Amino acid sequence: MTSDRINEEQLSAWVDGELDADAAARMEAWLQSHPEERARAALWASDRDALRKQFGPVVDESIPPGLRAAVWLRPGLPRWAMAAVAAGLLLAGALLGGGAVWQLDHQREARLAAGTPQGWVQRAAFAHSVFVPEPRHAVEVKAQEEHLARWLTRRIEVPVKLFDLRAQGFELVGGRLLPDGPGKSAQLMYQDAQGLRVTVYLRKPEQGTPAAFRYERQGELGLFYWVDEGCGYALVGALPREVLLSLAQAIYAQHPGALPAAPPAASAAAG
Amino acid sequence: MHAPPAFRRRLLDAIPRLRRYARSLNFETAPADDLTQQTLERALLHWSQFDPQRDMVVWLLSIAHNAHLDGLRREARLTVTDPADIERAQDAEGGDPGADVGLQLDLKAALGLLSAEQREPLLLVCVEQLSYAEVATVMNIPVGTVMSRVCRARATLRRFLNGGYAAASPVLRRVV
Repeated sequence: MTSDRINEEQLSAWVDGELDADAAARMEAWLQSHPEERARAALWASDRDALRKQFGPVVDESIPPGLRAAVWLRPGLPRWAMAAVAAGLLLAGALLGGGAVWQLDHQREARLAAGTPQGWVQRAAFAHSVFVPEPRHAVEVKAQEEHLARWLTRRIEVPVKLFDLRAQGFELVGGRLLPDGPGKSAQLMYQDAQGLRVTVYLRKPEQGTPAAFRYERQGELGLFYWVDEGCGYALVGALPREVLLSLAQAIYAQHPGALPAAPPAASAAAG
Repeated sequence: MHAPPAFRRRLLDAIPRLRRYARSLNFETAPADDLTQQTLERALLHWSQFDPQRDMVVWLLSIAHNAHLDGLRREARLTVTDPADIERAQDAEGGDPGADVGLQLDLKAALGLLSAEQREPLLLVCVEQLSYAEVATVMNIPVGTVMSRVCRARATLRRFLNGGYAAASPVLRRVV
């Protein structure tokens, strides 16, 4: 502490508790005989406390829904869109909370009684895990090729529609034909601006496959699956349930037999 | 690859801290939340660069710091300071602000007059309660520089709070 400059910086560091024990002890001894410096340090400390008090309460404010949504969605959406989606998430949560519980139990019983785990749902999850990491060969036929829907429809014997998920931030990458047990299935792949991929698995269901909307979580992967109008759907993606649900609702609303903008029934979502 | 849910949950937990820091840099709520959102988006893009052993808030604050600097650079390109505005600001500072009245305003006004390079380390140390070493990481500067900037920042802040703004005005005049 030979010059004022050093003194000042050391004093400031002392206020911040940044001096080691020896240096702090020397500083405190020095301050005993320097009341002006002592007063200065006290003012600095009170400025620090005033700054803390000024901005501290911000951490107790509730988090704006738009920021909350930004964490779960792809980056780049304008804030009003985030807010709109966030409002939608709340709605979806309410739907899930509503009529879902009895349905879940009901279906678990039915599945146990039938003794048949949903093998095709498992195959949808496997197919997702195999093809999603492929950077260049993720799909067999690219989205740009017009015959994609026609070709898959002919092969799997259910009408394949190329769902438009752009409003949800996902572009169609393309599709591929897959074996599905003794039959065939189709996989459509979608990707968001950050390269996050989700897949839609489509197949002709066996007689008596339960029709209701179901949700399953397998590690990072979430799955929504349902059977409707003679087609089995499984939506697979490493996304939180709320986001996946919004995609499932968009697909449901667009499926070939759907009335315009018909949402899934409130009681159809099982968690 | 996208950010895993566990990462997103930690991000969510960090939002209040990020909002506080953004608000201390940018007093208005809307632009501060824009900065927070930019920070979250950058974190989601670069999530794989985050070392889970590290303190996530420190990592996020460094992203916020860079986003803030980018914003300042953009602003500097787009806006031209009107010398009359500076004169008005100096005139407004001339009067005696009184003892207690508007103390908070004075603090914010004084803080707002600090240069970005002094203001940030002061806020990171005082409000975010980071160590000098953590501030050095956030701002990507040596620890010694943190120490001297914090010291200069609080000395300048104190001078402004004591009504010594005029003493600093030659610096502004030179810029104009």
